Order: sequence, then structure tokens, then C-alpha cells
Amino acid sequence: MGKTVTIVRNVMEANERRAAKLKDFFAERRILCLNIMSSPGAGKTSLLERTLADLKNEFRMAVIEGDLQTDNDARRVAATGAQAVQVNTEGGCHLDGSMIEDAIEVLNLDGVDILFIENVGNLVCPAEFNLGEDHKISLLSVTEGDDKPEKYPLMFHISSVMLLNKVDLLPYVDFNLETASAHARKLNKDIAIFPVACRTGEGLSAWYDWLRAARAAKR
Amino acid sequence: MHELSLIESMLGIIREERDKHGMTRIHRVHVVNGALSGAVSDALLFGWECLTQDGDMQGVKLEITDAPLLVVCGSCGREFTPEDAHCMACPACGEILGHEVKSGKELYIEEIEADIPD
Repeated sequence: MGKTVTIVRNVMEANERRAAKLKDFFAERRILCLNIMSSPGAGKTSLLERTLADLKNEFRMAVIEGDLQTDNDARRVAATGAQAVQVNTEGGCHLDGSMIEDAIEVLNLDGVDILFIENVGNLVCPAEFNLGEDHKISLLSVTEGDDKPEKYPLMFHISSVMLLNKVDLLPYVDFNLETASAHARKLNKDIAIFPVACRTGEGLSAWYDWLRAARAAKR
Repeated sequence: MHELSLIESMLGIIREERDKHGMTRIHRVHVVNGALSGAVSDALLFGWECLTQDGDMQGVKLEITDAPLLVVCGSCGREFTPEDAHCMACPACGEILGHEVKSGKELYIEEIEADIPD
């Protein structure tokens, strides 16, 4: 029998330290940093394309694109004129603080108002890794089913906003907005919920108002 | 499947503690995993097996205690552990919305059992 030593150390502590440093960095520069999370195909890149194009005269925005492979998304985003950098996780299922540190080295963040981080498409793992962001944003598309906030409680518990995308498809799918909203509010009564359709632009003005308020709060 | 990176973080902490306390041989590591941590205990055990097949941590046993989710009712303030994650009805007032998470998000190394020469 050996001796037992009490440790009590958070497994995530290394990432938490990095996240705290990044948070300070964003606070000093008054950059609103948003971590966008969803499953693959929910519409993160489409949301960014719309947002970057519609608000380009209002804010200076930059994007960190997390992806398993390829730079397709970064190119789509860069096509709007916003500065974008691609982080390939090479198979990794989430972004962590060290990847964001690397990405901000190459971005020119002078005068940037809002930095979007598009996380890897996954409803589980990204939720555990803080990136120094001001808010986590969950995006759920109506084709995925209204039970997702119930199945992935951590993701929606820690998000400030849940965007319900592809509501233009609601007539064709069995998705109940009330059910999805109720599940998300179970462990997060203050979550802001915006039904949107990035394809048609429906509902996006409420999301933009939220962005403006969050940006104003950061000044 | 981010459990592998969690195990890598754990191994880093364990090595630090080993050096700090002068442990010569580690027998057992005890970890507490909350129901809402996002990490699956079985996947952690599998990741541990993969990353400790050889090297300095070979033969070290990983033990995991699953900690329950504890919430405070958003309506009446009663503390309770939901029976399942689907319907979190408060046993006192029946409220299902707006509960606050009190514990269950944690994932930490609680203790290490090892040989430490006097």
C-alpha cells in the first residue's frame, strides 16, 4: 500500500489558464469574442456569411475558422471581405485555447470590434473548452430535431444564445420551437432564443440587435 | 471523443504531482467526473488504457467516481438530483424550467496513491 495524496486539481486547468489569458487579451483590446458551436451542417458558416455581409458597414469583424480539414469555410467567410484565419484541428473534435493563441498571432486585430470563432461541428466536445470568449452561441437547425437541447445539456446550459436555424423548412419537418426552447431553458432560464433562416434572412434582425447590445456592453 | 485530450491533461497534472511529492511508483489515480461534465467515464477509461500501455504510467490504475447532477429548482429553490436528464421536474413543486446547476460539471483529480520514500 502506498500513501494517498489528496490533489483536487481540475483536469481542464491548463486550458482554463489559457482561456483566462485570452479573456484578458480581448478585454484589453475591447474585442467582443463569440464562440459559435453547432453540429456539422447546422449553418455556422452561413450565419457568419450573412452576419459579416449585413453588418460590414457597422463593425470591423474577424473570424477564426476551426475545421477538421480543408479551408473551404475560411474562403467562404473571406469572400465577404472579413479577415479570416483557418485552424485545422487535423481530426481533433474541438478547438482549445492554444489554437486560439496561435490564430490571434496571425490575425491583425487592430480596431476589430467582433471576433467570431467558428468551432468544429460537434455538440459535445467544444462545450468543455473555454476559449476566452465573452459568450458561447449555440446554433441548432430545425432539421436536427427539437430534442437536441435535451440530449446535449452542457452545450445549451453554457450558451448565452441559441439560434434556431432553417426555420424556412419548418413546414416540412416535425420540429416544435416550443419544445426545443423549453428544453434549452431547463438549465438556462436566461438563454436568448432567436428563430432564424440564414438562407432567406428571416429573423436575423433580432440576432443583429443582440450583437449590437453585446458589442455596446464590451466598450 | 475529446476524452483522449482530457487524459493527456490528466497525465500532465499527475507527472507534476509525482515530481512535487517525490513519488517513486504510482498505484492508483482517483478522478471525479460530474454527470454534466461532457466526458464519458467509459471513454476516459479507454483513453487511459490507450495512453498508459507503455511509458512512465504503465500499470497505474485509473478509478472514476461519477458525481451526480445537483440542481436548485428555478421556482421554489429546492435542491434535487433529477432522476433522468429528460424531465427534470422538481420533486417539491413540479417546476421543470429554469433550474440552476449547483454541481455536476466538475472533472478533477481527487487523489493519487503512490509510494513516497520518507
